[in-house]
Amino acid sequence: MMLWRQFAMEWRLYSRDRVAMFWTFAFPVILLMGFGTIFRDGGGPKLSVVRVQALAPEPRDAALDQALADLQLKVITLPKAEAEARWTRGETAAQLEPAGNGYRLRLNSYLMAQAGATAGVVNQAWLMAQARLSGAPEPQRIPIQVESPGHKRSANYASFLLPGLLGLNLVSMGLFSVGMVNVSYREKGKFRRLAVTPLPKWIFLLGQVLHRLTVTVIQAAILLLVGFLAFGIQNQGSTLNLLLLMALGTGCFMAFGFALSSFAETSESYSAISNLVFLPLMMLSGVYFTLDAAPAWVQHTVAVMPLAPFLRALRAVFNDGAGLAGHGLGLGIVAAWGLAAFALAVKRFRWA
Amino acid sequence: MSGPALSIRGLRKTFPKVLAVAGVDLVVARGEVFGLLGPNGAGKTTTLEIIEGLTTADAGEIEILGLTWAKQGQEIRSRIGVQLQSTSLFNKITPREALDLYGSYYPKRRGTQELLDLVQLEEKADAYHITLSGGQQQRLALALALVNDPELVFLDEPTTGLDPQARRSLWDVVRRMKGEGRTVVLTTHYMDEAEALCDRLAIMGHGQVIATGTPASLIADLAIPSVVELTFDGAAPDPAAFAARLGQAVERRADLWELPTPDPKALLPRLFEAAEAAAVPFQQVHIRRATLEDVFLHRTGRSLRE
Repeated sequence: MMLWRQFAMEWRLYSRDRVAMFWTFAFPVILLMGFGTIFRDGGGPKLSVVRVQALAPEPRDAALDQALADLQLKVITLPKAEAEARWTRGETAAQLEPAGNGYRLRLNSYLMAQAGATAGVVNQAWLMAQARLSGAPEPQRIPIQVESPGHKRSANYASFLLPGLLGLNLVSMGLFSVGMVNVSYREKGKFRRLAVTPLPKWIFLLGQVLHRLTVTVIQAAILLLVGFLAFGIQNQGSTLNLLLLMALGTGCFMAFGFALSSFAETSESYSAISNLVFLPLMMLSGVYFTLDAAPAWVQHTVAVMPLAPFLRALRAVFNDGAGLAGHGLGLGIVAAWGLAAFALAVKRFRWA
Repeated sequence: MSGPALSIRGLRKTFPKVLAVAGVDLVVARGEVFGLLGPNGAGKTTTLEIIEGLTTADAGEIEILGLTWAKQGQEIRSRIGVQLQSTSLFNKITPREALDLYGSYYPKRRGTQELLDLVQLEEKADAYHITLSGGQQQRLALALALVNDPELVFLDEPTTGLDPQARRSLWDVVRRMKGEGRTVVLTTHYMDEAEALCDRLAIMGHGQVIATGTPASLIADLAIPSVVELTFDGAAPDPAAFAARLGQAVERRADLWELPTPDPKALLPRLFEAAEAAAVPFQQVHIRRATLEDVFLHRTGRSLRE
């Protein structure tokens, strides 16, 4: 009864805090809708090459243009001066220009992801053009299929992003809704006021934890619903596995919040400490993008942090319908972090 | 219901590098309003927090309503009411909700409406806490301290930071508490508040009780019931030479001299004569009754407002 009152009051006060409601419920949906729509085709921005017009067109130019068109690369043909101006503005990823008896490709060092892919296509087109000019048999292309690691066809970016957001929500719930709130309760003396009443402290804390749990459940449900309605994303794995994973993540990151809150005296110092933890976790754990391009030491480091292995397992279940068996080590790492944080929180938690 | 409401013996508390409470003994009778008076840093709040169970003492014994923290903590909590120096509530909780919520923590509770009436917050009963004035927030804090119909109420600087009108209305609430038969222990650094509200006082300084008694007896014990004040236009000059000539103690405070005396009628003619002879450029003369401020000054050599 006391617990219920405490829980109900948490919800009532929370529902009056519009800013918190926005960040908790609306913001993840906006992120999913925004990024999901921008990168709907999964391939990032369309590839294009700037083609500098030849002064005196040769047969090979026509053959190359034809081959580029066959490979569906967008070609922007410009006179030399205009192409140079565009290059200087930094808008060109790859520029194809006549050089001696053939061509030369210039790649923009700031846009290497696009430029590298474009260079591959241009070279392939040039091989095709040369074969056609010499009357050799048409070279055959190897077909490509985009697939997730578990062989499910989930090529759109939204389906990659959604589990990332589910995981990130747990982290921000733990660090901010639990950790920050406890620091401010301690700082402002709310705990002290409670300590002079007969209310058992565990009821107060449990009411708070239960409230955050229901918030998390609702938040995840909204994201899953929007993901399904807008992008047709569905959980490919078993519901039980998904729930188990979410429960593990919730426990781990909530313990994180409690543990971290014991290291700060004021809200200001807590916000510095928590961002020190939150920002690297968010940027480096593969929430928004895969980490293949990161240096090996970064990949090895985040692999033993709690969020990256959690997201790996979550994506395996959610996107690929995998079981949990193959993720024992990763989930062990998450659980170890959670237990360590819990032990630290129990040892260090202060009411005043 | 016999025995004192509160009795303390040999209370000591040292914080790192600071001796906050250095051996305090107090007895508070049932039904009285008892004041702990002293400047900031005198140890009032620490003493109160130890009594309330928020801080543990290094040494000393405390009995609250005949109970001890070691054995009957929960019973003490349910029978005392506490207003902390800053009661922080959620910004968007209403007084009605706060009283309902805190009331639900206790086995025995008073009606929310009755409490709202008592502290005159009916009109603001459903306004968010953050929209209440300082005085209204403080009255709500008092109502929260009364939510369990406590026998003993602790108020830590209940009127600090309030305007005179808000202070008066809070004093009324404290008087009503006494009228209902509750024992009230409050801290304050306002002399007028202590004189107006308290049946008995303990004057604290440097973590110790310097004097205990009723406001009237403390003043009477001074044996200097009156003070003659000479005010100056600007800073008061050094009174040493004048005091020697007059054969009377003269204390300098900012823009005035104070001459404590048991007999102002006898002092005044001599004072005027000496002042004229020494060409002391004073502006006005006041004669006033000694106050608790003088008691404090006399006992500690420090002003309460320091």
